[in-house]
Amino acid sequence: MIKALPGIGEGICVIEPRLERLTAANATGFRDELLALLEKGEDRLLVDMSGVEFVDSSGIGAMVGVLKRIGNRGEIAICGLSGSVQKMFGITRMDRVFAVYRDRDTAIAAMNERA
Amino acid sequence: MDARQIAISKGDEALGRIVIVADDDAVQRMYTSAILRKLGFEPLEAGDGVSALELLRNTAAQLLICDLDMPRMDGHELARQIRADNAERYVHILMVTGRDQRRERERALESGVDDFMAKPLDTASLTARVRSVTRLLRHEQLLADRNAAVAAAKERIEEDIRAAANAQRRLLPEPHRTTGGCTFHSAFVPSNILSGDMFAYYDLGDGLTGFYAADVAGHGVHASLLSVALGHLMTADYFRSQINDGSGVPAPHALVAALNRRFHDPDSHDYFTMFCGVIDRAADRLHYCQAGYPSPIIVSREGDLDHVGDGGFPVGLIDTITYEQGQTAFPQGHSLMLVSDGAHEAENAEGRAFEDSRIADCVRRAAREPSHIPQRLVAALTEWRAGRPLDDDLSVLVCERRNER
Repeated sequence: MIKALPGIGEGICVIEPRLERLTAANATGFRDELLALLEKGEDRLLVDMSGVEFVDSSGIGAMVGVLKRIGNRGEIAICGLSGSVQKMFGITRMDRVFAVYRDRDTAIAAMNERA
Repeated sequence: MDARQIAISKGDEALGRIVIVADDDAVQRMYTSAILRKLGFEPLEAGDGVSALELLRNTAAQLLICDLDMPRMDGHELARQIRADNAERYVHILMVTGRDQRRERERALESGVDDFMAKPLDTASLTARVRSVTRLLRHEQLLADRNAAVAAAKERIEEDIRAAANAQRRLLPEPHRTTGGCTFHSAFVPSNILSGDMFAYYDLGDGLTGFYAADVAGHGVHASLLSVALGHLMTADYFRSQINDGSGVPAPHALVAALNRRFHDPDSHDYFTMFCGVIDRAADRLHYCQAGYPSPIIVSREGDLDHVGDGGFPVGLIDTITYEQGQTAFPQGHSLMLVSDGAHEAENAEGRAFEDSRIADCVRRAAREPSHIPQRLVAALTEWRAGRPLDDDLSVLVCERRNER
């Protein structure tokens, strides 16, 4: 349910979730696919949420699960939040837990600088 | 009933013993019946299609051996009628035809016949066909028994879940109650039988009233277990002891931090959002800690609305965070309404969410009668969903501050 675009900028792997809604129905599968990327050595993830219209609490749980697994070994950033997804990230303060950027280019630029 | 009991109670002996033999030739019928009897079956004879159909409908027979040409109803029509009956059991139809009736056989397959035997009928081929049908019947019976066992297990699980739902409901306060100088009104609508929502309120003494609402991520049995654990933990005594951080000001953030320590488990993905409030009635102030739960609305009798808080970290998700608390005026004559995100996220048939604005409208319209807010909101959501059940649990808690002075 994701499309992974590895090798962007300084070892960044951009992830496009191929879903409009990240909910209890698919959150576990989504998390497992991201964790599989980590296993393959992709430890700089940028999740572009611009195609995602809705995230529920299980979706948030899945993303935090990935964040915890990465720990200090790498990073996970998020971009393209809008509408109710942005609100969800605000009300749960996930916009302070994750590095959140307006769009993909801004995120990649900032992540390259950190590399 | 477990699988072994089923096997004992429904033994093999009754299975497919009755066989209907339909033929207008009495000699042929007697001959076929004799062979079947020798094989241990119980043949019932019919001289035409109509009486064969009647026998099938009135017995438990699952095998029919029939001729093609018969008076009143031929083999084709008989097969069609049997298939149209659509009974629980499957009737296997063996048709006896001439050796070169290929086109008739094709027609017969379309009518619902399973297999053919050529005339003249001989003992060996009849025995082989009947044994093969018996094997199928035995297999069908095995599947039917398994289905019955699964249905029984499902029934037992659902009964357990209903019992758990009753236990969960008993943890929740009644829909309307006055305590600690405030009147509380609530509604609780699980999306499944069980819910991941929990809420409560308490008179804490010293002019303080406490309340909380929590929503466990996910829903169903898994979420409800955590919500019930939380409901049991959050007694008035626990609440009172945890909000006292020695500062002299009620500290709901200390309570939320204690819950975060208690419920954070590095090996689990379970967490919940909550809003936890303490009303200092003499000061007309609300001290609160918002932990990812939607912002409550404070509404005056005149319908002026105020959203409280702008977010906060959920509970049990991350162990290294610090919780903040806020405070706001909560005067007498005002009411505070908390609703779980099941309301905001509820989508209508076109996929549009109910959202803040519609919740606010609902609250504004019921501002003069705060006791009606929960049911009005539930009714508005039911209409929005056009009767379809909600995808997520819904709970509404209203705290009404009546004029005391």
